[in-house]
Amino acid sequence: MMPLRRKLADGAALLFALAATAFGLIWLVWILWTTMAEGAAALTPSLFTQMTPPPGGSGGLLNAFYGSAVMVLVALVLGTPVGIAAGTYLAEHGRHSRLAAIVGFINDILLSAPSIVIGLFVYELAVRPAGHFSGFAGAIALAIILLPIVVRTTDEALRLVPNQMREAAFALGVPAWRITSRIIYKAGLSGIVTGVLLGLARIAGETAPLLFTALNNQFWSASLAQPLANVPVVIFQYAMSPYDQWHALAWAGALVLTAFVLGLNLMVRFFARRGNR
Amino acid sequence: MIELLERRVKEATPLALPAKIHVRDLDFFYGKAQALKKVELAVPANSVTAIIGPSGCGKSTLLRTINRIYELYPDQRAEGEVVIDGHNVLDPRYSLSALRRCVGMVFQKPTPFATSIRKNVAFALSYYERLPKGELADRIEDALRHAALWDEVKDKLDSSALALSGGQQQRLCIARTLAVRPEIILLDEPTSALDPISTAKIEELIHELRQHFTIVIVTHNMQQAARVSQRTAFFHLGELIEVGETSQIFTNPHVQRTQDYITGRYG
Repeated sequence: MMPLRRKLADGAALLFALAATAFGLIWLVWILWTTMAEGAAALTPSLFTQMTPPPGGSGGLLNAFYGSAVMVLVALVLGTPVGIAAGTYLAEHGRHSRLAAIVGFINDILLSAPSIVIGLFVYELAVRPAGHFSGFAGAIALAIILLPIVVRTTDEALRLVPNQMREAAFALGVPAWRITSRIIYKAGLSGIVTGVLLGLARIAGETAPLLFTALNNQFWSASLAQPLANVPVVIFQYAMSPYDQWHALAWAGALVLTAFVLGLNLMVRFFARRGNR
Repeated sequence: MIELLERRVKEATPLALPAKIHVRDLDFFYGKAQALKKVELAVPANSVTAIIGPSGCGKSTLLRTINRIYELYPDQRAEGEVVIDGHNVLDPRYSLSALRRCVGMVFQKPTPFATSIRKNVAFALSYYERLPKGELADRIEDALRHAALWDEVKDKLDSSALALSGGQQQRLCIARTLAVRPEIILLDEPTSALDPISTAKIEELIHELRQHFTIVIVTHNMQQAARVSQRTAFFHLGELIEVGETSQIFTNPHVQRTQDYITGRYG
């Protein structure tokens, strides 16, 4: 028999843990539920076929979806190779070097830099010299946010590859680049893919850096050189407006964005599990 | 055990064979800690030389010096000479790629690459030699046959090497090494992570391989050293204490410390 005092302490601790879990989950469920309930109403085919409307008019978010997709894609194309290359340097070649330690530290700072600061930086770098906002500037800002995530996760994924495998590969006399590209990347693939997907989920919802770079565009524009509509900024703008149609569209946009990020996270789980096999 | 040793004495090969590897005046350092002290050792060609000794005596270190794998770690350093076929391979000008092609190594833990069985064997081979497809397949089969693994994997060459058992994985690592046709094979406790049946298979394999290769094996298991080797070198605290024919080391060691170790006084 457990003494009464221990029993009470045990029960109290369990209760506290359950309450804390419930407290955390309530908000998540609440957010998801509100987004679903409010967003589902505006979730019509026209959402994906029509442009953002002027106040009072009806329309969809086609231009915003397009703009977001293009900018995220360009950011991915810019940020992923650089991130993987830098992560590879940190994990494979710079393990014992001072430079790598410094690069890793700076990367950690970049990882936690407020996204609005990155937005302002790119504004100075790409928007002010050009004289106007542009989708390309938005993509650069997103790439800079993506970069440290990919660097860190690549670094960690490669460090998880056992050193014995590295030694065994090097013992065959094959040069380092071939070992990294054919053996080490394969062994760390699921970790690297997980990192890129997590980074993708992160930049898909970024708003602040786009406010200073891509801004927004009420009309259809496919050009990266022009201001580009995008989902987060449209949500921001429409949600702050006094118009009901705009509110509904903002909710619908939020729902699609949430579903996208949720889907990415499921993919991450899938890849992570595949890697564990 | 005794019976086995006696058998060994009778069939002990005369070691008038030429030395394949000559270790001369070798010191080794991990940072400031010295792991090998003035080691002198000749390894005859086409035979198995076992290296025994208690943990931390430097036996793995010696192996890691012969193919310079220690160079992956900047704080490790070797001084002295390892002469293979008349060339000091520790000379930084000596090509690492050429050295490691000639000197294969198999490690304690099986280390299959996360890819198919075929690609595991082809990995180094296709780097060294540009072979037409058919010939490449022949060489892969050849290596797997030599490693006594062919019959078990011939129908699943394209499935993952990670799905093989531990013993099969270790033989795959041997096949991977054999594929590039080395002259020397270093085995670093190759069976310590394996079950008795897999161990027996690998030991049988070592017997076969001895005809074509010079083999140096580090082992914790003295019976294994007695079973597979023709010569045995006993190391203690970074020094080579005694080296000689295996039968002599195990039945009539000249040095007291060797005697103490093989009779289980320490280690």
